[in-house]
Amino acid sequence: MNGRWFGLLAALLLAMGWSLAQNPVRGGTLQIGADASPSGLDPHVATAFASFIVTGQIYEGLTEIDERLRPRPALAESWSVSSDGLTYTFRIRSGVTFHDGKAMTAGDIAFSINRVRDTKTGSPIASRINLVKDVKATSATQLVVELSQPFAPMLIELAGIAVMSEDYVKAGNDMQRRPMGTGPFAFKEWVPDTYILLERNARYWRQGRPYLDALRYNIVPDPATRQVGLASGTYQFLPNIDPSLAVTLRTTPNVKLITAQDLAYTLIGMNASRKPFDNPRVREALNYAINRSQIVQAVYFGNGAPAGPLGLRSWASPQGAFPCYNTNANKAKELLAQAGYANGVDFGMIVIGSNKTVVDAAQVVQQQLAQAGFRAKVEVLEQGKFIQEWRNSNFDTFASINGGNADPDGYLFRTFSTGGSTNVFKYSSPTVDRLLNQGRTTVSEEARRPIYARLQLELACQGPIAHLVYGTLFSAARENVQGFKPIPTRSLIYLRDTWLAR
Amino acid sequence: MIAFLFKRSLDLLFVLFGVSVLVFLMIRLIPGDAVEIMLGANTEITPEGLAALREKLGLNKPIFVQYWDWLTAALRGDLGQSVWTGRPISEEIVQRLPITLELTVLSLVIAIGLAIPVGVLTAYWRNSSAEYLIRLVSITGVTLPSFWLGTLLIFLVFKLAPGWQTLGYVPFAQDPWGHLSRLVLPVITLSLPMLAGLGRVLRSSLLDVLNQDFIRTARSKGLAERTVLYKHALRNAMIPLVTVIGIQVGYLFGGAIVVEQVFAIPGMGRLILGAISERNYPLIQGAILLVTMTFVLINLLVDLVYAKLDPRVEYA
Repeated sequence: MNGRWFGLLAALLLAMGWSLAQNPVRGGTLQIGADASPSGLDPHVATAFASFIVTGQIYEGLTEIDERLRPRPALAESWSVSSDGLTYTFRIRSGVTFHDGKAMTAGDIAFSINRVRDTKTGSPIASRINLVKDVKATSATQLVVELSQPFAPMLIELAGIAVMSEDYVKAGNDMQRRPMGTGPFAFKEWVPDTYILLERNARYWRQGRPYLDALRYNIVPDPATRQVGLASGTYQFLPNIDPSLAVTLRTTPNVKLITAQDLAYTLIGMNASRKPFDNPRVREALNYAINRSQIVQAVYFGNGAPAGPLGLRSWASPQGAFPCYNTNANKAKELLAQAGYANGVDFGMIVIGSNKTVVDAAQVVQQQLAQAGFRAKVEVLEQGKFIQEWRNSNFDTFASINGGNADPDGYLFRTFSTGGSTNVFKYSSPTVDRLLNQGRTTVSEEARRPIYARLQLELACQGPIAHLVYGTLFSAARENVQGFKPIPTRSLIYLRDTWLAR
Repeated sequence: MIAFLFKRSLDLLFVLFGVSVLVFLMIRLIPGDAVEIMLGANTEITPEGLAALREKLGLNKPIFVQYWDWLTAALRGDLGQSVWTGRPISEEIVQRLPITLELTVLSLVIAIGLAIPVGVLTAYWRNSSAEYLIRLVSITGVTLPSFWLGTLLIFLVFKLAPGWQTLGYVPFAQDPWGHLSRLVLPVITLSLPMLAGLGRVLRSSLLDVLNQDFIRTARSKGLAERTVLYKHALRNAMIPLVTVIGIQVGYLFGGAIVVEQVFAIPGMGRLILGAISERNYPLIQGAILLVTMTFVLINLLVDLVYAKLDPRVEYA
């Protein structure tokens, strides 16, 4: 066989292999290595990440957020918004059934939104939609939502409200234990601290999806065990892993890393109701003392970017806009002296112990701060204790990691508005409050941009949060796991397109 | 003997009651409850929402009422339900306990089985290079933390025999070979420190016994060295060993918590650790009660074994 023919044959074979590899195959169970066991599976109440990666496969919302962080139709086929921005009319997809075989109607959606709004439910999402005045199903396929004020992030927020079956909930089923929705996978079994098993929903409305027969979330708390488990093929998919684990897995054979920008960011929070951080100059000095690029290198192994108050690429102001991001220990000392602390300050810093990245970052920050006269006493706390201290505002400063939202209002309003539901810093600024209200009630995106640019300037240097780093979102998978796409919100909706190559 | 057993049973009830009160109070002293853990950090919630969620789990009742509810139900044999999965706790434990028992009993048997020859050999070959080698290994065994040893073994096996499945758990009935091959590393991890400790105890106690008069007598009346060792010396040297085994069983349970975590084995250790980190109060109470009961019963067993080994021990 001469060389030319051989080359042609090889090319043909390659092309065949390529086209074979490109065709999704049905079947198989995806073995997922999850780091924590969920506390409950009611998506209206249990919003923590361990619950969310499971319930996100079982439930769907009116809309969903895509990889570019835009809302797009899910259970709603289309919608229209009145010119005053107060009335949303949704056309509901017909032919969608719940896992128990019953048809999903606009009534179920109205019921679900109202369940979130009901104070008896105790839903953390309730405050996100507190501008909703009324929800009505006008027919089986039409839903009308009335607002009391225009609310720009409405369509994004609705993506976070899981649609439940009214009959199923009213029949007294415990939604924390027996979830049931319209999503691509249906709940099958939960063995605590061992695994959660979801099965393919054969009636799923997206034709031919999902490809996988089942998802098995194996609960594996030890990171070394997850690493070996993936390397040996016991697990096939590790969603959202630490950067240090990603660095180790990079060179592992038959394992690939899937990356996206992460909306989650590490931060130092400062208590604005306690000395010395009640003084904006001290907060500004702390920002000058921090070297964010060094944290990117030392903690994120280069996979990250210094963080301003907004991580959304489309909304974020450039770093150059914030003078305090030019690290300068002398400037920090000068500001401290102006604030009346010429000899530096002593304070406590509590750290959420469940996240390795945060613990590492806190140590680097502690060193950096020491050079500018900030003497931090660092205390790494167990998660439950940290959450309690955080909620009770019982800290001088803390180090933690926050998840991001697809709309700037989703993060900024609750965090920085006076009395905001996660404003544990007790921060209050009339200028910021005014801008925040303007930002959420202005519907046009063009008009919102300058408002959020102003807000970022107000908050970056003197706000109660020193934003540290936006990381790279890493997931790791075996080579044969195909079709998965990551989303910066950490949602795993594309597991419905995922398949296993043989 | 009967009177002794009766008295010990009363002790058992007293210990169980004490432990139940202690555990009940202690787990509620840990900051944060199931609701806060569920919500996680940086979650929006109103005080009313928080109260509504606590009410659903019965966490808003006064602590005495909570304890009374739990105790009366427990006396009727109902240990309650797991907070999030809603499964009966007795069912949860029945599923997990055999896994941990298999792991610990197997480790115990192997540790004792190997400790006896190790103890005898090191006592007989005192100051030989073989003894120094065994001592070095056993000191290393005692000092290695099991989370480190376990991880090291996982990596080692993965490098040397990548096809060997070392993680997780498969029921014996489903796949006997897979079941056993997954047990090897956890059992080594768990038994090595115990083997090392027991071997050293047996060595020193055997050395004591071998220097005593009755051994000299036995030898001088012409008994074979085998008989001297196995019938006279070893039997007497076993008494301290049995005491240490009784104590070590408790540590074995503690060690199982770490080993199960490292090897992702769904036993009692994982159950308790998971329950504590998610503040699953009824599950912690039920599981600890059971572990306590096992521990007390083993101690009772140890006392009975004394009498078998040494007829001078009497119970009154």
